[in-house]
Amino acid sequence: MPIKEKGYTHWEGELKKSRYPWIPITRKGIKLAFKKKFFKFTFFLTLIPAIVYLAGIYISERLEDFAFLVENSKSVSFLKINPGYFNSYFTQDFLLFMIVVVLVFCGAGLISDDLRYNSLQLYFSRPITKKDYFLGKASVIAFFLFILTLIPGIIFMLMKIIFSGNLRFISDYPWLILSVIGYSFFITGFFAFYTLFVSSVNKNRRYVSILMFGIFIFSDILYGIFKGIFESEYFSLLSIKANIKQVGAAFFGQKLPHNVPWIYSFLVLLFICALAGFVLNKKVRGVEVAQ
Amino acid sequence: MFKTMIADVKNLSYSYGNVRALDNIDMDIPEGAIGLLGPNGAGKSTLIRILLGFLPPDKGSGHVLGYDIQNQQKKIRKNVGYMPEDDCFIPGMDAVSFTSYLGELSGMPKQEAMKRAHEVLFYVGLEESRYRQVETYSSGMKQRLKLAQAIVHDPKLVFLDEPTSGLDPSGRKEILELIMDISSKKDIHVLISSHILPDIESTCSHVVILSEGKTAAQGSISELKKIKYNLYEIRTYGDDKGFIKKLEEMGCKVEQVEDKIIKIYMPPDNSHLELFKLAVEQDVQIRHFVKSQTSLEDLFAKAVGAE
Repeated sequence: MPIKEKGYTHWEGELKKSRYPWIPITRKGIKLAFKKKFFKFTFFLTLIPAIVYLAGIYISERLEDFAFLVENSKSVSFLKINPGYFNSYFTQDFLLFMIVVVLVFCGAGLISDDLRYNSLQLYFSRPITKKDYFLGKASVIAFFLFILTLIPGIIFMLMKIIFSGNLRFISDYPWLILSVIGYSFFITGFFAFYTLFVSSVNKNRRYVSILMFGIFIFSDILYGIFKGIFESEYFSLLSIKANIKQVGAAFFGQKLPHNVPWIYSFLVLLFICALAGFVLNKKVRGVEVAQ
Repeated sequence: MFKTMIADVKNLSYSYGNVRALDNIDMDIPEGAIGLLGPNGAGKSTLIRILLGFLPPDKGSGHVLGYDIQNQQKKIRKNVGYMPEDDCFIPGMDAVSFTSYLGELSGMPKQEAMKRAHEVLFYVGLEESRYRQVETYSSGMKQRLKLAQAIVHDPKLVFLDEPTSGLDPSGRKEILELIMDISSKKDIHVLISSHILPDIESTCSHVVILSEGKTAAQGSISELKKIKYNLYEIRTYGDDKGFIKKLEEMGCKVEQVEDKIIKIYMPPDNSHLELFKLAVEQDVQIRHFVKSQTSLEDLFAKAVGAE
């Protein structure tokens, strides 16, 4: 490979001081996620509940046209568009499971790959801080989770208004938009911490993927076992899924699925976030030191 | 003559737990190509990491391009390029995306970064493989890629940590040529950390030698080689233990190399005739005598302790 005779040339431009230096990290993370095999298909699968619930909103406004679908009272009660409808979308098992699947694709390697391939020093030799780095990585997760939570939630509300042709829905539930935004941000924040935390504990992306699934599913199994033995609902605090459902129900003003104060679940999830933040700070700095 | 400094440190110390990596280092790094020389574990990489702001020093202060190493790290990193010692890349990217991505992180506009990435990849000789995934690159190609990412944003100062490690002789020669070409520009300075003496000797005008976390010597290579000592190579016949002892008492540093050759680093005040007088006194025959050309290797050996 010959060296060019032209020699080294200077770049004529000027380096910018960006207010959001983490944006290239997010952009690259999203791009790399879409490059992964089966990711597009998986992500589409994850959007199916949103499409079904959207169809439900349409049907709820055209019940006379879909009489054959709504013969039994259960269907009719499901098609009542109220905060419970939103809660059932946001906290359904399928969506939560698929969120973890999506996170495995887009989030498992976010930090573990950087640890494995020593690329942290490349990031930190640039004018970006640890905060920018974490923000850039977390925004990759936020991008995908907002598509699955915040955006469908807002679209559901808009479509309800459009299909019904009036603003009664908004006047009936004026706080619902805040619930949608609040819950979306909460669940996105939690999963961002959870994913980055697990991604930082090992250099092997496959191991991280198993761990991400394992913790989510095993915590639920553990809850089932202890509840079976001790018959106490308080063991739901061991389950990530149960805690999310509790907090979701609280956000949307619904009956709590477990007979435990929702604030406990909220604090458990908050504790996981705090632990994740602490570990992330330690782990990333540890590699930065690169002894 | 006054020389502008691109970096300086004062009383700098750093420890990894109980292991003292840098011990009260004082150093002034002038413009141009500067070598940071030392055996493995001397503290070279630690020093670079402190200069980049990766590690906060336990004690002391320093400046890089006029910016404080403890409070103005972002400004330092904006103006500095860094080629790390070990393999590092981001999987799933080709060389163009990789280089332009790191350019963007340095603050280059996206389009400009992409254009410049092509330029620097051409410059380092990766033009034909620039669309290949970086994880498929050979060691030599990875070294070139690391150099490309270090210069993509046209820094004022480039830190090169062991730039020729793991390269075959031709690859090494080409990387050194690139470094010489970069450092030939008046407005870009290069700090090369290496334990390979010929690399430093061929590329740098100034050297800082580190040994066990301390500054063993620093200055212009030609000056250091010239004034510090005279080097003689002799071969003796007879019991030379007493002879060597007397030489050491005279202030000479004596290094025994293979085939009974003895290297004598003699202070400039002493004459070589004293060697012969001493040999006569100690009943030792000198059967071979050469005034050797001092090389960086000799300087290095003397500075870090030949024994």
